[in-house]
Amino acid sequence: MNSLLALLPSGVIFLGALILLLCEAFIRRENKEYLGYMALASLALSAATAVRLWGKDCSYFQGMLAWDRLAILIFVISIMGTALVVLVSLKYLGRHEANHGEYYGLLLLASAGVSAMISSKNLLVIYLGLEVLSISSYVLAGWQKTFERSQEASVKYFLLGSLASAFLVFGLAFVFGASGGLEILPLSNLLHSASGDPYLGLGAIGLIIAGLGFKMALVPFHMWAPDVYEGAPTPVTAYISVVPKIAGFAVLMRIFAEPWQDSQPSRAVFWAIWAIAALTMIAAGFSALRQTRVKRLLAYSSIAHSGYMIIALLSQDYESLIFYLVVYALMNIGAFASLIALTPGADESSDLDGFAGAGLQYPWIGVPLSLLLVSFAGFPPTGGFLAKFYVFSGAVSAGLVPLVVLAVLATLLSVYYYLKIVVAMYMRKPAAEAVPETENPALYLAVFLCLIGAVQLGIFPGNIAYLIRQAVQSLTF
Amino acid sequence: MPILTLMTFLPLAAAAAMVFFPRDKVRLLRLTSLAAALAVLVLSIVLFDNFEAGFQGPQFVEQKAWLGLGIRYSLGVDGISLSLVLLTAFLMPLALLSSWSAVRENIKEFYVLMLVLETGILGVFVSLDLFLFYVFWEAMLIPMYFLIGIWGGKRRVYATLKFVLFTMAGSLLMLVAILVLHSRYFETAGVSTFNIFELYGLALDPRTQMWLFGAFALAFAVKVPLFPFHTWLPDAHVEAPTAGSVILAAVLLKMGAYGFLRLGIPLFPDAVRRCLPLLSVLAVIGIVYGGLMALVQKDMKSLVAYSSVSHMGLIMLAVFSLNAEAMRGALYQMLNHGLSTGALFLAVGILYERTHTRLIKDYGGVAKPMPVFSAFFLIAMLSSAGLPGLNGFIGEILCFFGIFAESRILGLLSLSTVVLSAAYLFWLYQRVMHGPAASERVRSLKDMTRREIAYFLPIILLMFWMGIYPKTFLGKMDVSAITAVTGAGPSPGASPAALNSAVKDKTEVKTEVCPPAPFSPEARGEDE
Repeated sequence: MNSLLALLPSGVIFLGALILLLCEAFIRRENKEYLGYMALASLALSAATAVRLWGKDCSYFQGMLAWDRLAILIFVISIMGTALVVLVSLKYLGRHEANHGEYYGLLLLASAGVSAMISSKNLLVIYLGLEVLSISSYVLAGWQKTFERSQEASVKYFLLGSLASAFLVFGLAFVFGASGGLEILPLSNLLHSASGDPYLGLGAIGLIIAGLGFKMALVPFHMWAPDVYEGAPTPVTAYISVVPKIAGFAVLMRIFAEPWQDSQPSRAVFWAIWAIAALTMIAAGFSALRQTRVKRLLAYSSIAHSGYMIIALLSQDYESLIFYLVVYALMNIGAFASLIALTPGADESSDLDGFAGAGLQYPWIGVPLSLLLVSFAGFPPTGGFLAKFYVFSGAVSAGLVPLVVLAVLATLLSVYYYLKIVVAMYMRKPAAEAVPETENPALYLAVFLCLIGAVQLGIFPGNIAYLIRQAVQSLTF
Repeated sequence: MPILTLMTFLPLAAAAAMVFFPRDKVRLLRLTSLAAALAVLVLSIVLFDNFEAGFQGPQFVEQKAWLGLGIRYSLGVDGISLSLVLLTAFLMPLALLSSWSAVRENIKEFYVLMLVLETGILGVFVSLDLFLFYVFWEAMLIPMYFLIGIWGGKRRVYATLKFVLFTMAGSLLMLVAILVLHSRYFETAGVSTFNIFELYGLALDPRTQMWLFGAFALAFAVKVPLFPFHTWLPDAHVEAPTAGSVILAAVLLKMGAYGFLRLGIPLFPDAVRRCLPLLSVLAVIGIVYGGLMALVQKDMKSLVAYSSVSHMGLIMLAVFSLNAEAMRGALYQMLNHGLSTGALFLAVGILYERTHTRLIKDYGGVAKPMPVFSAFFLIAMLSSAGLPGLNGFIGEILCFFGIFAESRILGLLSLSTVVLSAAYLFWLYQRVMHGPAASERVRSLKDMTRREIAYFLPIILLMFWMGIYPKTFLGKMDVSAITAVTGAGPSPGASPAALNSAVKDKTEVKTEVCPPAPFSPEARGEDE
């Protein structure tokens, strides 16, 4: 259905961003928090307009923007993630000399980019959305102007991100060459183009995977990620480790929606993704094993988790993939938020010793963080376990048993490094009197929302599962 | 009344409530946890009393659709799980009582975790759904991890990580095997299920069976532990706080044996038969090796830990003999080992609390200042060594009958456990209890307090009961023990009434149709 309504979700959020940027000039520095509440309001409004489109299949601009159920669900998930990040940021910015109202405006702009990325089937629009998302993220990563590592993160992110964008554009050129258009086509159409030459299509897919892989920090395109995740202000880390991944997977889901064909080029693509999945899980796992700084460890862990999601992409078990994304978003944002709560004032890249004994000293933050870590590690009865279980189950049904065995071995690795944090928090004598964040209700609210979500999804995921199933059914050519 | 759900989740509910108790109300915390554990004990006795001994298959079945993919929330007990539920419910209040004086820091967390642990353990034994089984199996690791890691000895962090990683390594591969099993069942039967008893009917080719059994067996062998996978056990036992050791030795190890009985053997009959020689040899090595290691230990706790390796070896050897006699013996011996090893750990704990050392050489002549304690210790020891009149004898003799029926050589080798256990236990007793007092501190030891007697005495009484009148317990588990090896058919001795209810129960299991839940393969591909 061609309808102006399809412009609303992106439009509202974009408008919200502009209003915020305008208001910024008129609001006193102490009151910058109000901008955060305004951001929350426009996120909520935008999500509401998106939800209104559920089941209507509205589209506009000759189908350039098409809000099918998949797009709506993914959009709402990313909006929830963004809203949690806003909650985490409210007080954080003021305490870290980064209290500039543009922050929220940029967050909203990034989300507008996400909305374009996930609602379009045109690769150019997707690229446009990705760039809006990326450029906002580059700026956000360098938000702590006085903090060298944040600056470094920003520059690194910008340079490598631009390179990745170049790859992506190059890939689009190949797509155009192979198919004469920029629509997302079934993979087999792309690989068996009219010219009969599969290399054009293979080149296109390869470059697109590389480009998106950079943005989503998949191994071997992940080198920038740990430094950037560590250097960026922690709420921003939570954002860039979650939202670009959600959007990227939404795009990948559309690109690889067609069942795998039994042809040479198709198999090549399949095995390439297989290798990326295996590498991402194992390499990130081993790197995480050696980390002593908690924030960096979490950075590697978030890379490793993409590996599991790629398994679901391979087995085309998109229900499990989206479920995993939801759980991952909650766990990751919750964990970074707990990190902020445990080490206020300081920069959060303190090492494990700084955590010694903190769990027993501050149970109200120790228990949520350890539950989130346990969920990361995939212990039942948490969302992390159920997400892995669904992914593995789908993969085994699709005959990917060796990859699943690799995945469980990677999980075993992850148990070790996640428990290392828990060991520090609970099984060592406290080193110093750390003073945890106490006057930051929004932060605690975010932690508890994430915790409740992560646990509830492990026990009664019923409603979400229903929505996800409906969304995946809308994914057709 | 959903008695199994009530029993399983009562401790968890109590734990959740206790989270909100003020942390300085120590007495309230202790009493609440004890009350919860006692309530579970009462429920388990009710369960035991109402359990129909006559027929095979699970009783008190509860079923509900849960997660899709054919995952159901289904609980039930048969003779095998009933006895282990009873054991858990019996030991938990005693372990809690024993920690009143031992645990002085972070008291609230300790009792909360103990109760969570109880829910996990009970859940493993009452699950009829493979997914649910796995959830409890893994979830139970978390409280144990904290119990060892926070309240343990000097090397607690190493011990607890080793424990978790070893167990996880086994069980994660089991998860893959479970998934393969599930997808195979879906391919052949066209329906999705994780129900253990429905999966029994799945015929797999031998090659697949070997792989899957390998994964399951690894998980269970680590837990039991069978010989080359046992190295986590002495560390974990020695470092764990007394209550943790008791539960670990008495109940957690049984989960491995239970896994073989409930899943490994019935699911993969061909693979089991092919692997029997290997498994039996590992079990025998465990018996001898564990016994010899126990003989040379300097630390009392690690002596008891290695004796566990040895005793569990005997139990596993009996399980692998795959005949009715041995199976009954193995089941009975599981209970015995739970009681006697639990009692021995409690005894070591009592000494440790007074002197803060577990080294045997620091003791000597303890019998003089602590006559009551030495008597209790002696009985626990004799039970562990298998003296006639006490429970250990019944179990061991049944095991030996069964083992000898299969193989003379293995039987003879397994008999070494009698000699070895007598040797290391009596020698331990002699060095600790008799002779001159090692120090002034030992000479002035105080005998057991009333609280200590209160938690030790029930074990001693039960040891006598089980040794003198084993029928109370054997009667309930007989049918399940026999069907575990022979497979099908209700026992000929079953009464008609019991048979009827068995049939009724079985039809309940079979006919209950759950609506297609989200994510289920039936639901996939359909429109709505």
